[in-house]
Order: sequence, then C-alpha cells, then structure tokens
Amino acid sequence: MDSNICEVYEDEIQSLEEEIKLLAGKYEDSQQESTFFSDEEILMSIKSFQRELRGESEGYESLSDLKAQLESLETDLSFLMKFTGIQFTSHSKKTLEKTRNRTVRKHRLSGNCRSLSFQLEFQLLEMQNKAGVSAVITDLSIIMEPGGDSDLSKFVSSTEERGSLLTFFRSLSSYAEWYEHRRCTFLHFKNKYPDTVTLPEGLLGDYILLRNPKASGFELMIVWKIHINEEGRTTPVLDLLTKVPEQVLEQKMATIENAPTHFRSMLLLCGIEAAIENLVKVFGLER
Amino acid sequence: MEEGKVYASDVFAHLEMLEMRDHEAALKEEEELLQEEKLARLKARVKELRLQRDELRAKLDLQEKRQLEKEGPASDPAQFSPRAVLQWKIKSLQAMLQVFYLTGIGAKLTRRGVCFCISTAYEGTYLGSYYLDLLTKSEVKIYRHSVPAFIPLKQIAEQYLQTDIRRFLSVLSDQLNAYAGRRYQADQLQEHFSDQIKGTLQRNSLYNLLVFNYNVSSKSKTFPFNVRLLYGDLCCSLPTEVIVSCRLDAPASLTETAAAHSDLFRRMPLHKAFRSFSSTG
Repeated sequence: MDSNICEVYEDEIQSLEEEIKLLAGKYEDSQQESTFFSDEEILMSIKSFQRELRGESEGYESLSDLKAQLESLETDLSFLMKFTGIQFTSHSKKTLEKTRNRTVRKHRLSGNCRSLSFQLEFQLLEMQNKAGVSAVITDLSIIMEPGGDSDLSKFVSSTEERGSLLTFFRSLSSYAEWYEHRRCTFLHFKNKYPDTVTLPEGLLGDYILLRNPKASGFELMIVWKIHINEEGRTTPVLDLLTKVPEQVLEQKMATIENAPTHFRSMLLLCGIEAAIENLVKVFGLER
Repeated sequence: MEEGKVYASDVFAHLEMLEMRDHEAALKEEEELLQEEKLARLKARVKELRLQRDELRAKLDLQEKRQLEKEGPASDPAQFSPRAVLQWKIKSLQAMLQVFYLTGIGAKLTRRGVCFCISTAYEGTYLGSYYLDLLTKSEVKIYRHSVPAFIPLKQIAEQYLQTDIRRFLSVLSDQLNAYAGRRYQADQLQEHFSDQIKGTLQRNSLYNLLVFNYNVSSKSKTFPFNVRLLYGDLCCSLPTEVIVSCRLDAPASLTETAAAHSDLFRRMPLHKAFRSFSSTG
C-alpha cells in the first residue's frame, strides 16, 4: 500500500521536474525574444561588468570568456554576410509552442542581398525524434523590393507555397549578382557613350536604347532579362530589337535584318560587355 | 509437556522464538520508520516542486500580460545584469548564425582558414549538412570534409576552388542539394507508398538511377509496372529519362496509363507523382 503511494509521489515528482524544465525554458525564451539591447548598451554592460569585478580574478575569467565568445561570433557573422552578400538588418523570433519533443517558433527577418531587399516571415517546426532533430518550414511569406518583375514574383509565389526557404536564398544570391552585374554594365555604357546610350527605365530597368543622333528614328533596343525558373535557376537572356525608319531600312535591309542574329552570336563568342560595346561602336559610326 | 517438568531446551527454544519475534518486530518497526521518512521526504519534495512550478507559471503569466499591454519592453531591462545582457547578445548572435544555416550556408573562422557548412533541404524540410574545412593561408586547400565519396568533389575543386570559392561552394551546394532531394523522394516513396511498391527499390549510392516495380490496378486487377528513372543532371532532382513499362500481356489501355505516369515522373517529384495517381485512380 505504502509503496503505491510512494510510486504516486515519485511519478508526480518526475512530471513536475519535467514541467519545471519546460516552463523555465519558455521563460528564458520569452525573455530573450522580447528584449533588445543596442550595441551601445552592450558596450556599457561590458564596462559596468568590468567595474563590478574590480580585482575578483575569478570573475575576470568569465568576463573575458564572454567577451571572447562575443567577438568570435561577431567575426563569423560579419564574414558570412560579406561572403554571401546577404545582410540581415533585423531578426526577431517568438516561441509559439514548446513541448518536450516539439518547438514551433515564428521568425521575422528582413535584410538585403546586394541591391535587392526582402522581408520574410515563417514558422520553424523542430521535432525531436529517434533520428535526431528535424526542422521544417511552414507559413512562409516573402516580400521583395523591387518586386515588379513577373518572373521573380512567380518564383516567390512558388517558393512560398513549398516553404523552400533554402532555395529562395540560394536563388536570390545568384539573381542579385546578375541584377547588380546588369546595373553596372548599363551604367558603364551610359557613362562611356552618353550621346548614344539612353536608359528610359533607368539603371534598374531591363533594356537600354541606342539612338544615333544623326539618323533620327533609328533605334536599337538591347533587352537584358534575368529569367528565374520555379526551381530558382537564374539565366540571363539578351536580345536585340530594332526600330528602323523607312529610308534607312531600304538602304541597309540585310544588315538590319541580321543584326539580332549577329548580336546573339557575339554574345556567345565574346560575352555581354564585348557584344554590347561592339554594337554601340558600329551603331555610332552609322551615317 | 509433562506436568511439572520443564526442559531446558524447551525454554531455550521458547526464548529464541521470543528473541526472533522481538528482532522481527524491531526490523519491522525500523522499516516502517524508514518508509514514513521516505514518504515524508517525497511529500516535502512534491510540495517544493509544486511551489517552484507555480512561481514559474506566475512569472510567465506576468510576462504574457506585459506583452499584451505593449507598454514598453515586455521584459524589464533592469532585470538584466551586465552578465545577462552579454549572454543575451551571445544568444542573439547564435540565433542569427542559425538563420544563415537555414539559408544554406554556415561558416566558422579557424586559425588556418574557414570551416564551411553546407546545409541541404527539400522544399521546406531540412536534410543533412556537410562540412568543409578549408586552409586559406597560401593556396586554398581542403583540409577535411564530410562530403560523400560519390559526389565529384575533386573535379569541382579543380575547376573552381582556387579562382572563385563562392562559385565552388555554390556548385557543390547544387549537387549536394540535388542528391539530398533525390534521396528524400525515394525515402518518402518507400515510407508512404510501400503497399504499392513491389519488392525493393534498386538504386545507386548517388540516387541518380532508380529502378522499381509498382502495382497499378485496372478493373479490379493489379498489373505490375516497371519504372527506370535516370537523373542525368546531377544538379537536378527531377529525372532526365523515364521508362515506364508493363508486361506484354497487360491490356492495351494500360499503355496509355504508362505514358501518363511517365510524364508525371518527368515533371513531378516521385512521391507527389504517386500521390497524384493514387488519388485519381
């Protein structure tokens, strides 16, 4: 009889200990997630910690340990941001559910990848099972700036549907690289040939116009689109469109008809900059 | 016993019995005392823990209330000692590094270079991660790594490691993610559709060649289909070549089904393709 009562007490003790562990964890998480300290406040804390110690050698060890840990984490983080081109400007999370085997946290993240900015929200479900810890993303929502491009928005929607956070970032990296490359190339040509090259949609648009100041009405449009498919594969697609007035067309029919094909071959042979350079030079010499 | 006669042995036996009874009684008393003490201890511990638990619950409730009121920070910053502030910052940086892991890459600077960690995922499910310990003192060298042998690490390194580390990691990540994705599809197939699969799934270690048999039912009869999937593009988790075949004695209508399935396998991940023709019948 007594042993039964003992068992009952022991069971309750075990369940209370588990519950306490869980509650303490929740409290710590909540403390962590609902506070924010700026960099100045961190520095002030280090100073006041140093003042508090003042001679207690034991304390100094733990302070220098903490400082070392802080420094190492900051160096790693800044390396990663420089290496990947992804800068996170803000990150907050909130623990929605926490049981012995299951944790659900909601994350809010914003930042930029080179010149493209994003804002995301997602839920991360972490489960403890025999094989270890598994992580699954749900409820992914992404806002991109600039977001006008239809290819990009289709990609973003498909990513949101599938919860493919990893694919999103990997594709974003390569898309942003191309985006930046295109912007720099357009800028380069605008500066080098200010009379011939115009950017009707600005540096962030996807085409440039070549206008011959002498032959009015004769225009060449170099279109540079950055395609991104549903799996996130990024490919640049360039093409040449011609706008030719009647008189010029009669004279130079063959050359003009073949221009787009020649342009595409040049792209394959000597790359984007050389192909555009060639086109601009030839165009500028036209009478 | 004979009247009047008392035997010494009887007396001894009697005394022994009394001693034993006494001893047993003493033991029993001791045991009972110990039990009582144990019970008392357990009871006290339960009380202590209950108190602790209730205090924690109250703390959490207060926290929640403050969060709902939204007046100022939910946690009183004054509660944080300088040490606690530093620990807050450390945890916050660790959380940021965990986010980077979710984007596919992690890194830790070492004395001799960098140790990269490539994480893989299939859609929203994170799969394994692989590390590469690089030396960057003079030329870049791979010191050690956990990339499986069937991934052509050496070729990728020869092409990109010295000139463009980012590209090297990106190409490697493409291959690792595609491999992890193919493996995940095969695992999901075996986990959720094992009743339809006949026999075992034959595959190579790179999971880019899969051959298996599965049952297709038509007019209450089941027919075995054989499918051979070849994933020619190692950076892709969809097959480049699909051959679905049925037995020669199978009805003609099934050739249409085979073609339809073949198309599905080409366009969709394995387990989703199975789900789609399981539901349409």
